[in-house]
Amino acid sequence: MDKFIRVDMTTKQIATLDVPEKYAGLAGRALTSNFVADEVKPTCHPLGKNNKLIFAPGLLSGTTAAQSGRLSVGGKSPLTGTIKESNTGGTFSQKMAKMGIKALVIEGMPAEDKFYVIKIGMNGVVIDDAPAEIIGGCGNYKAIEVLNAKYGPKVGIALAGPAGEYRLPTANISFKDPEDHLRSAGRGGLGALMGSKKVKAVVIDDTGAPLSVPLAKPEEFKAAAKVFSQALLKHPVTGQALAAYGTDVLINIVNEAGGLPARNFTSGRIDFNDKISGETMNATITERGGEGKVSHGCHAGCIMRCSQWYPDQDGKYITSGFEYETVWALGADAGIQDLDDIAYLDRAMDDVGVDSIDVSVAIATAMEGGLIPWGDGKAALDIVKQIAVPTPLGRILGGGTAIVGKLCGLFRVPVVKDQAIPAYDPRSIKGIGLTYATTTMGADHTAGYAIATNVLKIGGYVDPLKKEGQVELSRNLQIATAAVDSTGMCLFIAFAILDIPEGFNALVDMINARYGLSLTADDVTALGKSVLKVERAFNAAAGFSNAHDRLPEFFEYEPCPPHNAVWDFTPEEIDEVYNF
Amino acid sequence: MSVQDKKAIEVRGFLQLDQVFKKRNWPVPLLIDLEKPITGIELAEKLEIPIDEIEIIFVNGFAQSLHCIIQPGDRVAFVPPGCPGPYRMALGFYSKNQENKFSFTLKDKKEEQ
Repeated sequence: MDKFIRVDMTTKQIATLDVPEKYAGLAGRALTSNFVADEVKPTCHPLGKNNKLIFAPGLLSGTTAAQSGRLSVGGKSPLTGTIKESNTGGTFSQKMAKMGIKALVIEGMPAEDKFYVIKIGMNGVVIDDAPAEIIGGCGNYKAIEVLNAKYGPKVGIALAGPAGEYRLPTANISFKDPEDHLRSAGRGGLGALMGSKKVKAVVIDDTGAPLSVPLAKPEEFKAAAKVFSQALLKHPVTGQALAAYGTDVLINIVNEAGGLPARNFTSGRIDFNDKISGETMNATITERGGEGKVSHGCHAGCIMRCSQWYPDQDGKYITSGFEYETVWALGADAGIQDLDDIAYLDRAMDDVGVDSIDVSVAIATAMEGGLIPWGDGKAALDIVKQIAVPTPLGRILGGGTAIVGKLCGLFRVPVVKDQAIPAYDPRSIKGIGLTYATTTMGADHTAGYAIATNVLKIGGYVDPLKKEGQVELSRNLQIATAAVDSTGMCLFIAFAILDIPEGFNALVDMINARYGLSLTADDVTALGKSVLKVERAFNAAAGFSNAHDRLPEFFEYEPCPPHNAVWDFTPEEIDEVYNF
Repeated sequence: MSVQDKKAIEVRGFLQLDQVFKKRNWPVPLLIDLEKPITGIELAEKLEIPIDEIEIIFVNGFAQSLHCIIQPGDRVAFVPPGCPGPYRMALGFYSKNQENKFSFTLKDKKEEQ
């Protein structure tokens, strides 16, 4: 019988319960969002006692299925004020699933000013005092060393970094990956929520747990898992390009399309793209050798391996999970042209525990506001490191793009619901703009990421600069994404399961064989719709309306070169995205 | 537009074609004089790029099929199969690449079948 663990930080009471009946068929984002909608007061302050933090593995987490090690983390967002599901790799999800833990809920708030570590093992849950050396600005890399030494090298770890301790709106929750490096539930400030509960870390030790979760139909599962893996490995996106170039392969492509936001969204193209592209990243890692790795998996069972270890000139590891959106924001948007400078910034943001999209976009905004010079990677690194102190300037940057823009007196502030717009200009790639505007999460490219077959019919023929088909494209991408986010699967599986139909069928077959169900593709779509409706209802009760589903006004009157496109969707057209 | 000579086109190669271009010591971008319009297929053949290693070409910032006519002065980029994300949809790749089966299945994997 799966467990539902609740930790009350007010009383320090721990309850290990049976899974409530209504959550029995849910996992991942479907579970976190339904739980938040059920139990969190929509109008509560995100850092107050009434907010709750929930961790949930996906439907297929803990199985041998490829790409199934993702974890959903939910709560009311300290950054956006909306519901939030933030998704991460690492080792945590698979350990939870193998231990039969359906969800971990952290609620309440201690009266005392003291940080704790929640330790979960097969024999139960305990609350320890946090080691003094990891409190008060200790970087996440060091904190993992300390916690490994105390609890054992194989434990899984979720951390509120210094930014989380200081409850900054961009604080992420950092997760240990299989090699003691960092992955992040990055967006929406859930690290601040964890910090508000005075939880510095959650440590999970699966010693004694089964090697895999129980399967209703093991042979059928094994057969479907094989088909699924083969689909991933034979597709050019998931079987080749992501492993070779990572997500940073998009720099050249989106730049060529004129949709790479540059110099705080004043252009859609740069001329130094070759310095920061995925192709250059690959060549640099290969040439430097040492600890560098062109490809690397963020969790056990990852066969796409889109992550990498980026080394310095001497071959020493700097950072991993060096994503396109981070490189874009610091490179194209902030004008930092040295990939090494960007790598050190990526490491520093991981170390201090902030979202590397929101803070990187905030750096570009700070440059436009005159706080630091354009393109100055060293100055940017200095401010990021100030977050760990924190200095007033560090706190401002850790406040995110919306706060920096406001304090600098700017109108060109690229956020929706106070969350920074990522690396695709909505004027030149209009379908993405609709997702930014309407997603329940605040501007988030991963909210419309997964692709289902019905999208191919609608979206495969859109013109990026025209409106036709874009509403249907955004709607269906968001529905499919909400479903995939509930499976524990990496969103990148979408590329293969669209083009190779047996791959999609195998995904459904694996869920059925895991639980003894007979779901169809339509059921998966229905799940996605239901998740979005629950999230939308929470946001409405929290005070959000259609009027919040809008892009910043400057997109309407500042043409974006080279196509000189503007954002021209009417409010009524935008509101059609959620008309289902 | 950095093209100085209106007869010239700018050409770029992405993903593995980036290394192909660099190994041939071609500058970024490669400038090629064009006396008359040619198709993307003809340009690929001129540059000895295998057709099945191209998913789409960008012409002046728009995803196009290899049948697209390239005019003197245009900016062109060759994109092999492998662009991730919903951008394959949002940029319109899917209506341009149906002829190349290797846009959907890796060449060596296809040959194994």
